[in-house]
Amino acid sequence: MSEYIELHARSAFSFLEGASVPEELIAACSELEMPSMALLDRDGVYGSPRFHLAAKKNGIRAHIGAEISVQRPKDQSPKTNFARTEDIFSIPVLVRNRRGYQNLCRLISLMKLRVPKHAKPGECAVIPEELAAHADGLICLTGGDDGPLSGQGDTRKKQRIAEWLTAVFGKRNVYVELQRHFDREEEARNQALIEIAVRTDLPLLATNGVGYATPAQREVADVFTCIRNHVRLETAGRLLAQNSERYLKSAATMLKLFADLPEATANTAELSSRLEFTLEDLGYVFPKYPVPHGETMTSFLRQRTEEGACLRYTGGNGSPTYEQARPQIERELILIEKLKLEGYFLIVWDIVQFCRRAGILIQGRGSAANSAVCYSLGITAVDPIGMELLFERFLSEERGEWPDIDLDLPSGDQREKAIQYVYERYGKLGAAMTANVITYRGRSAAREVGKALDFDEETLSRLSGLVHTWEWKDPKDSSERQFRDAGLDLRNPRIKKFFQLYQMVQDLPRHLGQHSGGMVICQGQLDSVVPLEPAAMPGRVVVQWDKEDCADMGLIKVDLLGLGMMAVLEESIQLIRDSSGEEVDLAHLPPDDNSVYAALQKADTIGMFQVESRAQMSCLPRLRPQKFYDIVVQVAIIRPGPIVGNMVHPYLKRRQGRELVNYPHPLLEPVLKRTLGVPLFQEQLLKMAMICADFSGGEAEELRRAFGFKRSEARMKEIEIKLRRGMQRNGLSGKVQDEIVQAITSFALYGFPESHAASFALIAYASAYLKCNYLAAFTAALLNNQPMGFYQPFTLIKDAQRHGLKVLAVDITCSDWLCTLEPEGEGAETERLGEAKTNGRGERETRRWRDAEMGVDCQMSNTLVSVSRHPFALRLGLRYVKGLSEQSGRAIVRERTARPLAGIDDLRNRVPELRKDELRKLAAVGALNFIQIPRSPVSAKPKVHNPISNQKTFSVGDEVWEKKGVHRRDALWQVERVVRSAGALYEELLEKDGNSPLTPMTRSERIDADFRGTGLTIGKHPVAYYRAELNKLGVIRAIDVGKMRNGSLVRIAGWVIVRQRPGTAKGFVFLTLEDETGVSNIIITPQIFDRNRLVLVDHPFLLIEGALQNQDNVISVKAKCVQPLSFKVAAAPSHDFH
Amino acid sequence: MFACIYSQNIKESLSLANFAYVFSPLVEETKQDTVVIDVEGCELLFGSAYELANEVSVRAGHLKVDGGLEGKVNVAISSNPDAAIHAATFLKGITFISPGEELTCLGDLPVQVLDYSLINLEKKQADEIFETLRLWGVRTFQEFAALPLAGIAERLGPQGIQLQQLASGKTERHLKLKQPAPIFANSIELEHAIAELEPLSFIFARLLNQLCATLNAYALATNELLVQIKLADRTTHERKLSLPYPMRDHKVFLKLLLLDTEMHPPQAAVVAVSITCQPVKPRVLQNGLFIPLAPEPEKLELTLARLAKLVGKENIGSPEIIDTHRPDSFRMKRFALKSKPDFRKRRGGSAKRQSAIGNRQCLGFRVFRPPLRAIVKADQGCPTQISAWGKQRSVYGKVVSLAGPWRTTGDWWSNDRWARDEWDVALESASGIKKHGSQSQVLYRIYRELNNGTWFVEGNYD
Repeated sequence: MSEYIELHARSAFSFLEGASVPEELIAACSELEMPSMALLDRDGVYGSPRFHLAAKKNGIRAHIGAEISVQRPKDQSPKTNFARTEDIFSIPVLVRNRRGYQNLCRLISLMKLRVPKHAKPGECAVIPEELAAHADGLICLTGGDDGPLSGQGDTRKKQRIAEWLTAVFGKRNVYVELQRHFDREEEARNQALIEIAVRTDLPLLATNGVGYATPAQREVADVFTCIRNHVRLETAGRLLAQNSERYLKSAATMLKLFADLPEATANTAELSSRLEFTLEDLGYVFPKYPVPHGETMTSFLRQRTEEGACLRYTGGNGSPTYEQARPQIERELILIEKLKLEGYFLIVWDIVQFCRRAGILIQGRGSAANSAVCYSLGITAVDPIGMELLFERFLSEERGEWPDIDLDLPSGDQREKAIQYVYERYGKLGAAMTANVITYRGRSAAREVGKALDFDEETLSRLSGLVHTWEWKDPKDSSERQFRDAGLDLRNPRIKKFFQLYQMVQDLPRHLGQHSGGMVICQGQLDSVVPLEPAAMPGRVVVQWDKEDCADMGLIKVDLLGLGMMAVLEESIQLIRDSSGEEVDLAHLPPDDNSVYAALQKADTIGMFQVESRAQMSCLPRLRPQKFYDIVVQVAIIRPGPIVGNMVHPYLKRRQGRELVNYPHPLLEPVLKRTLGVPLFQEQLLKMAMICADFSGGEAEELRRAFGFKRSEARMKEIEIKLRRGMQRNGLSGKVQDEIVQAITSFALYGFPESHAASFALIAYASAYLKCNYLAAFTAALLNNQPMGFYQPFTLIKDAQRHGLKVLAVDITCSDWLCTLEPEGEGAETERLGEAKTNGRGERETRRWRDAEMGVDCQMSNTLVSVSRHPFALRLGLRYVKGLSEQSGRAIVRERTARPLAGIDDLRNRVPELRKDELRKLAAVGALNFIQIPRSPVSAKPKVHNPISNQKTFSVGDEVWEKKGVHRRDALWQVERVVRSAGALYEELLEKDGNSPLTPMTRSERIDADFRGTGLTIGKHPVAYYRAELNKLGVIRAIDVGKMRNGSLVRIAGWVIVRQRPGTAKGFVFLTLEDETGVSNIIITPQIFDRNRLVLVDHPFLLIEGALQNQDNVISVKAKCVQPLSFKVAAAPSHDFH
Repeated sequence: MFACIYSQNIKESLSLANFAYVFSPLVEETKQDTVVIDVEGCELLFGSAYELANEVSVRAGHLKVDGGLEGKVNVAISSNPDAAIHAATFLKGITFISPGEELTCLGDLPVQVLDYSLINLEKKQADEIFETLRLWGVRTFQEFAALPLAGIAERLGPQGIQLQQLASGKTERHLKLKQPAPIFANSIELEHAIAELEPLSFIFARLLNQLCATLNAYALATNELLVQIKLADRTTHERKLSLPYPMRDHKVFLKLLLLDTEMHPPQAAVVAVSITCQPVKPRVLQNGLFIPLAPEPEKLELTLARLAKLVGKENIGSPEIIDTHRPDSFRMKRFALKSKPDFRKRRGGSAKRQSAIGNRQCLGFRVFRPPLRAIVKADQGCPTQISAWGKQRSVYGKVVSLAGPWRTTGDWWSNDRWARDEWDVALESASGIKKHGSQSQVLYRIYRELNNGTWFVEGNYD
């Protein structure tokens, strides 16, 4: 047995107060042959799962504890009403048994949940009474520099504190801690502590107050001190460490250090032997679901499953019958009961039921879609029996891991409602989000290290600019080269030091965030399993462990993920219901809608879920989806797995009949038949192992994990031997074995589960169906849920317009906060023409002027292909006016609904929330052009719609109003009058009428104002205005590119809407250009990119000359020459570098 | 009428205002590159306004020695100084604007170039108005001027009216005439070279008298005197006297200067003396009733100067401890009286960084300066015997007891990193320093530089 155990160490999970991750501490501990070690992070057990797992791997016993901030007892602190930093000390506590661990978690939760997330030091501390109530099972050390016995003060006072600690924790549970870091003052304090220990009869305990694993990491600790105190290394002075002695020291070194106090080191081993608790003994119990009297969770789950299965497995539409499904359901239920997971399934079912009741769309995704029970309970929408999915991918007995159910919800308020329901149902201390540990990476590391080294702002910007956001990394792009290119010399000692530190801080924890949707549930006792703390978002509580840690510790979680497209689907259905009364049921969409497959085959997929990206669009015309399963394949095929594993081209060739369908072995035909002999899904990989090597479902899943993200050479080797042995047994030859092993090895890392692809494909189909059949509602919903997806609103609108949708400008007389639908028909058109005459212009002329002002793109609809007429037009919402707050926007709608707005003065008076800049913005984008002007209230007439008269009149109460158009500058002129006062001197000069002397905006001014004010224009595409000039240059339109011969040299021009440099594309850059007729795809070779880097990255409009490539109707232009176009029109920024 | 002269690339050594004084005494230095002169009544000297403008333009091209600017200038003449400024700034060559024709010349200029500082408008206000004009589509002076006055008053307020008047060339204002700056320098060239201090002191006294009189006239003082002495060997002897407080007492200056000259005498006979001072606001001080009287700063300065003469400037001042773990780290700062005792600083200031223990066991420590290089015998890293000899003292003996090592390392990010181990050792009294007669042991602090392993004795404890 070692004579010394380190019982006081902090990791980087003390956030800026420790410089090594738990794994590094354990590695050092293992090297020093120390049999156990304790981790005591500041006010938390953030790093304990990683510490525990690393220790387990190395055969080390991991003791758990924490340094708890405690308020000084009242009789010990100066009389003041305020908690000051000096009134708080840090008490290191070690967990002795499970009760102690639960108490520690509760203590930390109490302290953290009392104050907001970013509480100041002094606000977040345990009060002495709380400590006393939760001291059972904990061992108290007296700490180091910031412990209760540190600091100035006479020995008698310190003795009183020691006596207080003894009273709180019990006589045997307090140790007087001695640390020796070769510090004169510390030694003087040690002598005082020895005296106190003798007087109070407390045992001594030697520790090193470890802050890092190796002496070299002291530099990181110093940098963290600077970051914490907002100082530079040069000016930090004595805030920095005095020396580098807080590293993990060997037993021999510690024995030598404490040679005069052998009992202090001997006590470490004695105390270690008293610490029974490890995280193996967490005490987490699976959540229970409250069932009606007389029922058990098992019977309740069985009933609910049976009810659901009867409804779902009807045998209709080619789905299995209930009888066919029953054996699989029974098999699953038996396993669920065996693993005692009934409560978990019922809890998820309960959440789904709540969402159904509240009208919130919800759908399970991921491996849960492999379960027939989940399908029967309505958790998932994909039938795993019908699709022959593998249940073991979701749950297996052998694996010893708990299932992971991901639920997709509409992002935003709806998802928040579901989260709040879980809190409400299981109590504040019964449910919490999983954490997300934010680590030092890239720019943040560069900036903060640079600041500590006192680099000036310019150098800091250059240094942080070195961290590329491009996904593709040039192999020649060494750090030396990057630094040299940025004008920084790595031979300069300070730059060199920066570089060293930058690398050292990579991946060290910085602070705790919250995971996007993972929730852990534990029936009102979660705070005894893991400490809870508030999230930055009000009403949210997070656990101190991240998703991986929770999984490693066996905590079951439910992922409530926000999916923008779910919100779009939900809102589209609502819009359709509100506008036409039609009810669209997503669960019963026509399965073979021709328009959907026609659009997919043409890659006309802008705005559709999962199939709108450039890579998907270039694959669609080759894959030509004809049935739902093709969409499942389409969703899964453009992924790193199939791409890296070279599966895409064989599959497409076989699909087009250009390559024979064959299988590595006849045994595999049933598994690979659906994907033409090419493995595309993880389930296929699992089944391959099951068939070829007689693996059980659980073993196959184990194999997938072994080859997955957390690869371990030894484990992989072990499983490969097992796999080959099994294949040998089944008579598979060496070559076939190699082929299968190769497929599994390359694919397991990035493969996509079929169940997940199927869940996504359902949403993709629904989005495509809505786009093809209810374009107005779908586009409005898409616009209302931005930002999301692949394209900017401008591109979405242009695409919708090309499909014949009429888009109407923002107008405060009819726009809501969100985009809405307006009936579009003869009446509406006449009404529009009627209005135009009001201004005394000829009908045609006025229409032209009005179209320009409103942005109606008549020319576009003439120039484009088949344009179907839609019954509804899309009215842009006020949310698209940049800088207009939601509060103001909604106030406008509220007032307008109560009574029409009588001019800009009236608007200003009735909507006091509107700031002057908001009014200006509304006027600049033309939203005030149609505000009503009051006419004399002579006679009340009913609402009249006169197609001949050029004005629309209607009555509200006794007043008669006329709706009269003004141009944007008129509105701007009026707006300025209402927002600013003239001043006393000029009162006599005030104008009598509000007639504007300003001229209307020109075309380019309007486009500019549109882009500045809304980020889009509903008028003609900016490129369209330059078509004549472009024609002279020989530029062809995007719509005409497809008509050109393959290999011919073409010139195309447009606005760059997407720039991509994917990691798998070997440095190639892909641009998407848009003109008034559509989009075209450009391929830029690395050489062309290097030559034209600035032009390609910075310019919004480009002219590209290159060779046309038409492969199976996938059209792209391989650029040979790139030129910037200096169009004098504005454009929205592109969507870059995915 | 007003003429504005604008020169974009004027050399730093040249002054546009000095150039303008040739034509009129009424000069406004609007900016460094723009001046406006009132040319009313200049006809007799230069002919018509156009001829005057021509003369300005021609003379600007002359060399510096001929009173020129060695470059081209724009000249604009107008009845409105602001219109002249805009015209000179944006129209090349000579521009003559007849009264009422301002917009004919300036109407096409973009509104953003309006020099709003001429009407004392702040940048933020002006930017707001420019943004409104941009939204209105008003691009030029002409378009801005054409907007109705009432409309502008209602929408842009008084500032808008002023800006519109500026664009129309209708502002009314007087020139802010430039005053010649006072000169706080004095010099004298001697007919015969002086080689002794006494006659030189008369020269200093004369120059300082005049200088202090000028400072007095402007109610200013100085805290820096620059003395340049030309010597017979054609070299220049320069001395700079920095004072802790602003003063203007010529007697004090003289004494300080003489003391300094005694400490740093010129290497050859003096042929010319020049004294320049940096004018600053004088010190205003009201002492509290209960604050003990401190010596007059002037007298203190003289005393310090006398002491510096005796012990050397580098050996006088107040020591200041530097906030670092580096042992014996301090710097000397100039001695100065505190104007007010800083109670607040004493209470809270460095509490966070202070020592963790009380002072109850602290011993007095005498530092050897410089530390004594030592030869130390060590057993397993612990010193057992020490020998160190210096000029004034020597330390040697067997270590009877010790404490340590106390390790400090730091500045790892710079080239000046340090690392050392300190030991407190008790030696048998064989050393050169006897401790209070009868005691037989002396307590020393020794240390070892960890970078090179060299040992030193740093001092002894009382």
